[in-house]
Amino acid sequence: MTPETVRLPDGRRWQVLTAGRGPDLLWLHGVRGIPAHDPLLQRLATHRRVIAPLAPGFGDADELEHVGNVHDLALAYDDLRRHLGLERPVVVGHSFGGMIAAELAAHFPDAVSRLVLLAPFGLWDDARPVADIFAVPAPEVDSLLWHDMTARDALWPAAPAADPKAAGAQIIATAMAMTAVAKFLWPIPDKGLNRRLKRITARALLVFGAADAVVPPAYVAAFARHLRQPEIAVVDRAGHMLPYERTDEVAALIARFLG
Amino acid sequence: MKFHFFHLMPYPNLPADFREKYRSVWIDVPARLYDPVDGHRIYHEYLDELAFAEAEGFDGLCVNEHHQNAYGLMPSPNLMAAILARTTTRAKLVLMGNSVALYNPPIRVAEEMAMLDVLSGGRLIAGFPVGTPMDSVFAYGENPATLRDKYREAVQLILRAWREPDVFAFNGKYTQLRYVNVWPRPIQKCLENDFLYANLSYFGYQEAQKVMDGFWQTVARHNVEPNPYRAGFLQFVGVADSDAEAEKLYAEHAKYFWQRCLHVYGGYVNPPGYTSLATIKAGIEGQVARIISRAGARAELAKMGWRDFIDRGYLVAGSPDTVVDRLNDLADKLRVGHLMVLLQFGNMPKETALYNTQRFAREVMPRLRPRFGEWEDRWWPATPKQGAAA
Repeated sequence: MTPETVRLPDGRRWQVLTAGRGPDLLWLHGVRGIPAHDPLLQRLATHRRVIAPLAPGFGDADELEHVGNVHDLALAYDDLRRHLGLERPVVVGHSFGGMIAAELAAHFPDAVSRLVLLAPFGLWDDARPVADIFAVPAPEVDSLLWHDMTARDALWPAAPAADPKAAGAQIIATAMAMTAVAKFLWPIPDKGLNRRLKRITARALLVFGAADAVVPPAYVAAFARHLRQPEIAVVDRAGHMLPYERTDEVAALIARFLG
Repeated sequence: MKFHFFHLMPYPNLPADFREKYRSVWIDVPARLYDPVDGHRIYHEYLDELAFAEAEGFDGLCVNEHHQNAYGLMPSPNLMAAILARTTTRAKLVLMGNSVALYNPPIRVAEEMAMLDVLSGGRLIAGFPVGTPMDSVFAYGENPATLRDKYREAVQLILRAWREPDVFAFNGKYTQLRYVNVWPRPIQKCLENDFLYANLSYFGYQEAQKVMDGFWQTVARHNVEPNPYRAGFLQFVGVADSDAEAEKLYAEHAKYFWQRCLHVYGGYVNPPGYTSLATIKAGIEGQVARIISRAGARAELAKMGWRDFIDRGYLVAGSPDTVVDRLNDLADKLRVGHLMVLLQFGNMPKETALYNTQRFAREVMPRLRPRFGEWEDRWWPATPKQGAAA
């Protein structure tokens, strides 16, 4: 994928990765960002032009300064979408990015042609609380996120202990990413999306991992209730990081949905 | 040197197997472990201990704010300070302090602190902590990503509310108020921004030296006077006839503090955003986070005994000579004009706390008092100004 720094007329900067050719597909990544080699994006890029911006705060903590809440966040992504000239792209969001994708489609229903939400945050059910990923010692967060640790080790390998500089950089990057996520999810990841979901006009596909320990698969019903006849899939043996744990199934589901 | 009697007001009835049975003393500590009827006795004994410290000659009485925990039973230190404003007459009331980001609007803090200053005849020393992550982020739900920014704005608002003679509008990022005009106003004049810092360490003054060195380097870099009264440090102390006697008197209570009161679940000590990136990059961790978030350090703390606490300086205890020697070393190393001492800690009963307080006040304090006598404490509240009613 080709990384580039996109500069908006007002000076805001975005890190954006682009790959492939075809109709535009906007990918909004999850809590762990975008791995150096992203197998799902490679699959999607075979038939689409994939545009994957790095969420505010993931690469530069100062970017969060001007994004105070989910409304600012939806506006920021819409500004980027317009600047890049994306006309009604398909929007696919995973985890934290799933919440942003839903907010973007709810704030700007005409800006999105199809919506795919993979294990999205954004709703809350007292009976089945979303896991508190901020109240877990840092080394243990991954055991909540991942059902299949081998996928993690392959895509997000830990910096070698013998290289303290790389290990330090990894700690900083993770701290920045989790801070950005916390800004929009803390203390309860319900910022009113349940009132806005009904604004979404794009056809939607919901995909959850059957073994998601963060956003339980039961949330599929909560999302489906507010959307207009969404397609639904629950993937076996998949945790919160399902795009990386069951890449083939997820890619196939998206391909079939997009037709 | 000035001496402050610090009370955490710990809950002293946690079961012996607390560590094994429960995951945290903070946030999700079961409320059924709290006995409110015994709580009545506990609060009054602790308040007696604070009043006793004034009678024994301490300069300040310190109270602080913590939420949803058995480590310190003061969700509102202002209530305790209000009582002390009535039961004491001379000692300064040191609020360590109010976690200002938690108050909506933050002028609530400006109002209550002004009330305390007026009630006490100008004896208030006002502290503004960010609050531990447990208190601010988990118990009070503040967003860790914006907590420090909100804290800074709140402090600005409060200081301005005390200084401005006229009504003003405050259009902040976190607080908007069309009319700010705090009544009552404090007796003391609010000083301009200046460097004052208090380090509350539970892991010994040797451990704290890196942070304090950084503070003094910052003071030097800004070319301001390196006055020791800019800084304070908290130390656990136990005074007895001999070092051996100190162990007999205080070991159980020290173990209770470090092994039960500090038994905090690792997930609560370092939420993302609470520690600034600059701090992470500098390799500085919060003092509790450093110990709690590492499984090895936690296990080590659980196994520690008297000798470890003494050797590592977590606790300075022994005969008056021993205590004076070590506190002189502390003063040399940290250059702190304000020594805050915890003389009641863990499950220490009232009679032991009073004994420790009296021996410290009579046999240790006088020998350390001349330290830093060459410096003027320009920040100290003036002699109490009291109306006829007081």
